[in-house]
Amino acid sequence: MRALLILVISVWAGIATAQEEVKIALVGLDPDPRYDDAIAYARIETSRQGDPEVAARMAIDDLALLTDARDLTIGFSAVRVAEAGDLVAAARALAEEGAKYLLLDLPAPEADAVAEALGPDGPLLLNTTAPEDWLRRRCHDRMLHTAASDRMIADALIQHFVTMQWQDVLLLHGKTERDLARAASFTEAAERFRLRIVETREFDLSTNPALREQNNVALLTGDTRDYDAVFIADSFGEFSRYLPYQTALPRPVVGATGLVPLEWHWSLERYGAPQVNSRFETAVGDGRRMTWQDWSVWVAMRAVLTAEAKSRDRDPAAIEAFLRSDGLRLDGSKGAQLSFRPWDSQLRQPILLATSNAIIGIAPLEGFLHQTNTLDSLGIDEPEFACD
Amino acid sequence: MLRAFFVALIMATPAMALDTGRIFVSNERSHDIWVFSPDYEHIATIETSRRPRDMRLNADRTLLYVACGDDDVIDIIDVDTLEVVDSIPTGPSPEVFAFSPDESLIYVSNEEDSMLEIIEADSRIVVHDVPTGAEPEGVISSEDGSTVYVTSEVADMIHVIDTEAGAVVDNIIVGTRPRRFVLTPDTNELWVSAELSSEIYIIDRATNDIKEVLQFLPPGFRPEDVTPVGMALTADGSRGYISLGRANHIAVIDGVTHEVIDYVLVGRRAWSVALTRDESVAVVANGLSDDITLVDTKTLRPIRSIPVGQVPHTVVIDD
Repeated sequence: MRALLILVISVWAGIATAQEEVKIALVGLDPDPRYDDAIAYARIETSRQGDPEVAARMAIDDLALLTDARDLTIGFSAVRVAEAGDLVAAARALAEEGAKYLLLDLPAPEADAVAEALGPDGPLLLNTTAPEDWLRRRCHDRMLHTAASDRMIADALIQHFVTMQWQDVLLLHGKTERDLARAASFTEAAERFRLRIVETREFDLSTNPALREQNNVALLTGDTRDYDAVFIADSFGEFSRYLPYQTALPRPVVGATGLVPLEWHWSLERYGAPQVNSRFETAVGDGRRMTWQDWSVWVAMRAVLTAEAKSRDRDPAAIEAFLRSDGLRLDGSKGAQLSFRPWDSQLRQPILLATSNAIIGIAPLEGFLHQTNTLDSLGIDEPEFACD
Repeated sequence: MLRAFFVALIMATPAMALDTGRIFVSNERSHDIWVFSPDYEHIATIETSRRPRDMRLNADRTLLYVACGDDDVIDIIDVDTLEVVDSIPTGPSPEVFAFSPDESLIYVSNEEDSMLEIIEADSRIVVHDVPTGAEPEGVISSEDGSTVYVTSEVADMIHVIDTEAGAVVDNIIVGTRPRRFVLTPDTNELWVSAELSSEIYIIDRATNDIKEVLQFLPPGFRPEDVTPVGMALTADGSRGYISLGRANHIAVIDGVTHEVIDYVLVGRRAWSVALTRDESVAVVANGLSDDITLVDTKTLRPIRSIPVGQVPHTVVIDD
């Protein structure tokens, strides 16, 4: 019994008092194949270079006065599992220790497996870093998504295409599942606005002369109808960083390089974003900048703590109902009030169109309207959405 | 004899209200203050320290104080000569500030390090650093100076601070991203704008309870487009003017019943609003269209918009 107590105290950072304790854990993989160092060395925006645990802790600090005012103690722990096969057991153990919320920093299949295993009576899960639309269509009762879906990211870019009157697109993609998913979302979004994808081509990272049609930029982007822009889906970022300025036709490159649609970027200068970035940089201390994954974890923690502190009723069902309601009106320092969509439990949010050092636009762009909430012009809308 | 001495003292003091009627607009991005004559002619541009935002006149309206967020100072401008005559150092990123009633203390919110700094005006000594929620913004002092209210934009609350003790004594949880304050002229109510939940909270000063929550919806807009920030009340408290940010309108409301009288179209991201002394004109700073809009308070129509510097933040009128 005593050993168990010590174990529990060592895991949870909160202090046991008469106050009500809300236990929240961040669950991830270490190593996580998505953040392989060999990929991250290129310093591209799509790769993360640090653990978003610091963002979760920052959100707790940001809202400490609010949670204190409600006499809530936040017990936080970050759990990293080496083997994907051990994730479900780790998540179960956290649930048994009373974790009310699990922030999942996991690839989509692992997030799906955890949701499946914990079922309808488990803790509320927040998917922070898996953008896959299929995970939304799984419609897990107990899962919310703060990572923008692939389709939201694609729609943001398409709005820019429409605004700029870029009609014809050359679509390039890599071989990975992530690249295919991004390319598929882009194609869907492009079709909705009747853009023309002049050709879809797969690139190859090798220097094999036999594959020169795929690995030589001039050949890959030439011998086709004229296009207004090149879209590239490249989660590794290694091919795309050599693409701009070398295309057969002098055209802008967007997607994984050039103009990149993202949940967050350090160069956002409005809506209190500079303060969020500077708090993050102070908290992390090693000079790295806040990535979209950090923002997504930060906003997930903010959502949970805001719902806990602002719900007028302490009943867990009432708190969750408030968390899922339009009344949440969450501030993510992107200038819009954020809430979760009832049909796919996805956080509606603006998407930034970022270059390496500037925000070119914030989608929804001007002129893109929606019958209920303009943020719903990004992503799969209610009438089109169906659970698998 | 004594009386004569006092008269002489007053005569010797240059600090007399000049009633210039000048309109001052601080511009965050061009690091300057544009000055307009009472008939809205642009008469001067004062270069300030970087990122000037909130501005206040001292009580006799001879000096204009402006918080400059990127240089961590409050610049002091002579209202007559229109020159920066002094600077008071502050903590990182001062945004909004207030004076104690006798002007001996300056209360300034430091956005970057989440502090309300209480600075002694003469000695410039920091008397208290009061920790607040992240991104403190609006600051207002009670009429007797015993209490200061500060908003935390991130923690969604108002801190009630005892200035003597330099400590938070109460917290009032309000809507999302609370920004600015006004006190009603009878001092019974404190109004606070919650930018991202599109609300004005009316707080009962006696109990610190939320008395009423106001919402606005100009025709053709959705609630999420309405991001109220600036507020101005007439001297008799009968009318309020609220700038609605992204909704590009101001709301004109009855100060007593709180009913909306009208919405007036102004520029992009209407940010702050000030009234001329005769209350015939409301001057609105539009953060994203780099201009100010003059609104006739009788006809409730915009008179015209006038270009200013980049990203206008605050309007102060010397009259």
